[in-house]
Amino acid sequence: MSVQDILAAENELTHMLGAQQAVVLSTRVRLARNLSGFPFPGWAKPAQRKEIANRCIDAFTKLPRFKKAHVFKMGDLPDMERAVLVERHLVSKELAAGKSGAAVISRDQTCSVMINEEDHIRLQVVKAGWHLRGTWNIAEQLDEALGASLGLAFSDRLGFLTACPTNVGTGLRASAMVHLPGLCLAGHIEKVSRALNQDGLAVRGWLGEGTEAAGNIFQISNQQTLGLSEDAIMKHLGTWIKSLVEQEWNARRKLAAEEGPRFVDRIARSLGVLRSAYLLSSAESMNMLSHLRMACDMGCLPEANRHVIDRLMIEGQPAHVQSRRGEELDSDGRDMRRAASIREALSAFPEVGSPTA
Amino acid sequence: MSKPLQCSVCDAVATVHLTQITQGKVHKMHYCEACANKGGAGDAAVFQLADVVTAATTVAPAIVCPTCQFSDVDFRRSGRLGCPDCWPVFLEALDGLLAKVQHQVQHIGRAPNGTLALGQIRHRLQVAQGAIAKAIADEDYEAAARLRDEIAQLSAQLPTE
Repeated sequence: MSVQDILAAENELTHMLGAQQAVVLSTRVRLARNLSGFPFPGWAKPAQRKEIANRCIDAFTKLPRFKKAHVFKMGDLPDMERAVLVERHLVSKELAAGKSGAAVISRDQTCSVMINEEDHIRLQVVKAGWHLRGTWNIAEQLDEALGASLGLAFSDRLGFLTACPTNVGTGLRASAMVHLPGLCLAGHIEKVSRALNQDGLAVRGWLGEGTEAAGNIFQISNQQTLGLSEDAIMKHLGTWIKSLVEQEWNARRKLAAEEGPRFVDRIARSLGVLRSAYLLSSAESMNMLSHLRMACDMGCLPEANRHVIDRLMIEGQPAHVQSRRGEELDSDGRDMRRAASIREALSAFPEVGSPTA
Repeated sequence: MSKPLQCSVCDAVATVHLTQITQGKVHKMHYCEACANKGGAGDAAVFQLADVVTAATTVAPAIVCPTCQFSDVDFRRSGRLGCPDCWPVFLEALDGLLAKVQHQVQHIGRAPNGTLALGQIRHRLQVAQGAIAKAIADEDYEAAARLRDEIAQLSAQLPTE
């Protein structure tokens, strides 16, 4: 079993096996849990971390959702493979950086568990499109099964106990990955981001690492985890996402109406460059792919092509490019391989038309 | 291309960018990965948290968890606690900053095995008691009867004190 299986397998996010939506790329629910009677990973001794990992791997692999799951121990994986898992959002950079962390990933890559990250257990469920309820239902089921098989650290007053005070209580981080080219092009993103922040929601870039949101993609998540029920947290996020989707569509329509042929020209130029460039950096390709994704949403390109763009965004990340090639590449080498894959994938795309939506 | 931003600690290229909004004022901070990891910059709230703790514990006496020997000095360094038992030990010291990052300090979400936490029962009870008073005032006796049953059911789940 290797990370190559993860790369080769078709999953919701890369092959549109689930429902897709124009603005919301994916919905994610994360629960932080800890075993009672053990120090948190950052304070535990190596032998204790090993014991924690064994117990958690054992408990998760027994659950039906994790039947034939991938089990990865970070210490056993080469750098490149760990980087692929990070780029897929299946593990965090922090987990990948340590030796004692492990990950259990379901066959369909919908459910994943990080073990011995900041908390003993970080359970994550991801679905393509906007499906907060469906995502939560799966997480809740898994959490219930977990509570029955592992003794979890819990207090009546503080809820689920976590290593960091920012996660205590529900341990729930609910988030949506949203594509906002309209708001970015219209120059409204700062304002929107500030409003979200003031109402208790965090706004991060695609990889959460602040490098100017690549491809106009942002992750919106709740900050407060204590004193609110899971339901209230999700309702709050849901209300904002619904409003954000509306604002994004308004911005796109306004832009298309105001710019007229220049709106279509921007998309057509992006398609032109992506279809013929010999070198493409990650940032450049992400921003141009973002134009094409918007074009698919708005009828300038067939909607059925959108999943190709989503796949190219994921597979165009550095570790993915190198893993597919099976060797380490320098920056030019990566840009060349990335450009080649994109050229090939976009060769069958039709010409860009006027927006219909 | 514009010049990359420098880390505000060590002058390396900054790859972690934090924007924090406090009382309408925007603060931007830039860190390289190494310095960000040291400061726990992965989460803006943690940053704020670390500041509060630093301020609070410079005068406070050392607190040590009897289970895992984790101390307030360790917390100042990492912004994380040592084990689940640290929570009651550090709770009093953390109360102010918990209220600051979380706004509320009583859990009202799920408990293990899908049961309701006591906090949630108390919370629902409070809501139902408010609603029943309003229903009676509005002479909506159907709603009042339903709420009365709900209150009885919720009260039965609370331990007798």
